[in-house]
Amino acid sequence: LHRFIDLDMEKDARPKWDSPVQFVLACVSYAVGLGNVWRFPYLCQMHGGGGFLIPYLLMLFLEGVPLFYLELAIGQKMRLGSIGAWTAISPYLGGMGLASVVTSLYLCLYYNIINAWSFWYLFHSFQSVLPWAECPINANRTGPIKECEQATPTQYFFYRETLDISSSIEENGGIHTGQALCLILAWIITYLFIVRGVKSTGKVVYFTATFPYVVLFVYLIRGITLHGAINGVKYMFTPKMEQLANPTTWINAATQIFFSLGLGFGSLIAFSSYNQYNNNFERQAIVVSLINSGTSIFASIVTFAIYGFKATVNYENCLERTRLLLLNAFNLAEDSITVDTVYDWIEKLNATYPEQFAELNTRLENCDLESELDTAVEGTGLAFIVYSEAIKNMPLSQLWSVLYFIMLLLLGMGSMLGNVTAIITPLRDFKVISRMSSELFNGLVCLFCLLLGLGFTTTSGSYWFTMFNDYGATFSLLFIVLIEVITVSYIYGIKRFEKDIEDMLGHRPNWYWKIMWTFTSPLLLIALFIFYIINYIKGGTPTYQAWNKELGKSVVTEYPVFGQVFIGLLLASSVSCVPLTALCFHCNRKSSPVI
Amino acid sequence: MFEKIFFLLCLSTALAEQLCRPEASDGYRVRLSIKTALGDEAYVWNDNEMFLFRATLAFAMRNQISGQEFEVSNIIVCDETPRVSFWFVVTSPQNTSQLVDKESVEEAVRKSRNRINSAFLLTDKTLEFIGIPPTLAAPVNPDTPPWLIVFGLVMGAVGAGIIVLLASSVVQKKRKNDEKPDDEEIDEETRVKTVENSAASEGIYNRSFSDDERFTHM
Repeated sequence: LHRFIDLDMEKDARPKWDSPVQFVLACVSYAVGLGNVWRFPYLCQMHGGGGFLIPYLLMLFLEGVPLFYLELAIGQKMRLGSIGAWTAISPYLGGMGLASVVTSLYLCLYYNIINAWSFWYLFHSFQSVLPWAECPINANRTGPIKECEQATPTQYFFYRETLDISSSIEENGGIHTGQALCLILAWIITYLFIVRGVKSTGKVVYFTATFPYVVLFVYLIRGITLHGAINGVKYMFTPKMEQLANPTTWINAATQIFFSLGLGFGSLIAFSSYNQYNNNFERQAIVVSLINSGTSIFASIVTFAIYGFKATVNYENCLERTRLLLLNAFNLAEDSITVDTVYDWIEKLNATYPEQFAELNTRLENCDLESELDTAVEGTGLAFIVYSEAIKNMPLSQLWSVLYFIMLLLLGMGSMLGNVTAIITPLRDFKVISRMSSELFNGLVCLFCLLLGLGFTTTSGSYWFTMFNDYGATFSLLFIVLIEVITVSYIYGIKRFEKDIEDMLGHRPNWYWKIMWTFTSPLLLIALFIFYIINYIKGGTPTYQAWNKELGKSVVTEYPVFGQVFIGLLLASSVSCVPLTALCFHCNRKSSPVI
Repeated sequence: MFEKIFFLLCLSTALAEQLCRPEASDGYRVRLSIKTALGDEAYVWNDNEMFLFRATLAFAMRNQISGQEFEVSNIIVCDETPRVSFWFVVTSPQNTSQLVDKESVEEAVRKSRNRINSAFLLTDKTLEFIGIPPTLAAPVNPDTPPWLIVFGLVMGAVGAGIIVLLASSVVQKKRKNDEKPDDEEIDEETRVKTVENSAASEGIYNRSFSDDERFTHM
């Protein structure tokens, strides 16, 4: 690898950020992404509400900030992308950079699909009635479409009209043209943002990093003033301390910090490689990590306000339906039962007309606010189904819908900037590629990812998306970052690293950082690594949620053989870069004489 | 004379009661939710409103079966409840002891549903004929789906942005190429500087391999 990399050429001709602010905003824009909005609130809910903050913040300081600092240091010192930087540190482990690039490639392929979906929803918000507010009518005009009736209108809109999902990963249909168009748009905009490399990215991040906060703040005000929002916020923040005894809580906290900061993809190395040599990245690392976690907490307050509103609306609708059922069955005057007195009337009627009540019992729903709040959802389900359901009930729903999906887009696009930069920067370090104009090369990368990404717009594309999301970048990242921190602490040597930092910043990192790098973070990562492996082995055949058209809900299905093989390939292709490169280097060294 | 009239009245009421039974084969149950629909402006359901209902239904039947003149008396109502729901049957004007069949009644109601609803300021949901599902409004299908319009706008703007950007970079490159012969001497000086700088910092950079010969031509 070393022979192909321009180690000296770009040193001073290397593009730079216009100011350190751009760098910080780029990191914030990259780190603050969709995971802050749709994964953290779920974890908070699953692991005891306010109590989850304890392991979360602990992991932030034990693992998140030190590793973030480490990656920024590497990038700023080496002034190269991940491949070049790791090759320079230790040629045997240059494969780490390659593994990062491969993982980033997988991420780029599937991440922009989410942006395509956000575009789809955004464009569909410009209608007098939001299309996911009501079920469309069937051909006979006698009632709603059966699939929509079984599920909810929001689910129907997502699974049928947005994805046109097939019933399993094996069945394939054609490309959904609307989706494909939105994906093309997403990639064109991504290209627009990165076309001139740091020069264009640096300007875009002013917007993509700051505007989501404006929208989040507006949503916070809107959310808190919604009817029933306080139920959700109360439910979330009531700490259930018993959850802290559960080891999964701690593991999930560690994993969330890890993935939320975007470590191991090479984006941070790429971003910091464009820094001035003496940029104070230590302070910036702390600032960005804290902003990232703060945003997670902020977003989860908004999410839980929305949850509370949705749960309350559903609960009240349930009560209304029950009230109507009672009125119609017992032919009572309309104003005799109100929403508040439903339960008293149920008891009264049960006592006075027991037989009639008994036959009604099957149709009687059990309305419970707690169980509505308990439905914890994460991922695309939260973003596109639960949130849109809440939005359709708000007054002026089109406005809120537009705002919300613009926020999702900004978060997603901001992260895409980092993802694509993680691929482009290391590749541009190679002599062959640096001769090409940056516009052309960036365009080729975007085109390549677009063409492959079209596979995710087919009818089974959403299942492939889930596969990539669950397996493409999780295990490999842990492996990469573990090797990273061990390399820097032990193979490169913590003393040499200290000196490098002193050279850049003017002072040595204090004992806290050193202990984290040499001791705590590697241990934590090894623990996570082992946990993942155990989970994988214990879990048996990997499964996914397939949408069943007749039932109108998702069913757990096992991956077919080719699916499992593909998962294995995903994992192996990035992880194996490290040993293979080491082997290659070893062989080359043996064959050619030492220079 | 009066006895005859009295007898006929009793007979007709008895017959009417016989014809109109809840869950009888040729009738339908109607359910009104006036308070739900109108809230504070709800009117009270009384005999006058019932009269209006029977008249409206007679109107619907007349529209459906042309030639036969249905009167208010042909619509028989029974089993009124406080819910405001009741059962009705329709008798044929030619033979008051015979009921009009279910299908014709259903057709009649379907056809004139809108008129019946508006007579009571109600909707399909608040004036229910149990057993007659309302014909839902046809979905509005615009020629171009609205999302495509917004998509086109955004795509156009983005496309224009890219073209402008690429054009400006091509223009910049052309300008650079024209100025290049002047800058060559300046380039040489900067290269000397970089050589000195890199030589000074060689000790700190940990390069396993460094391509020194690039600068040694000086």
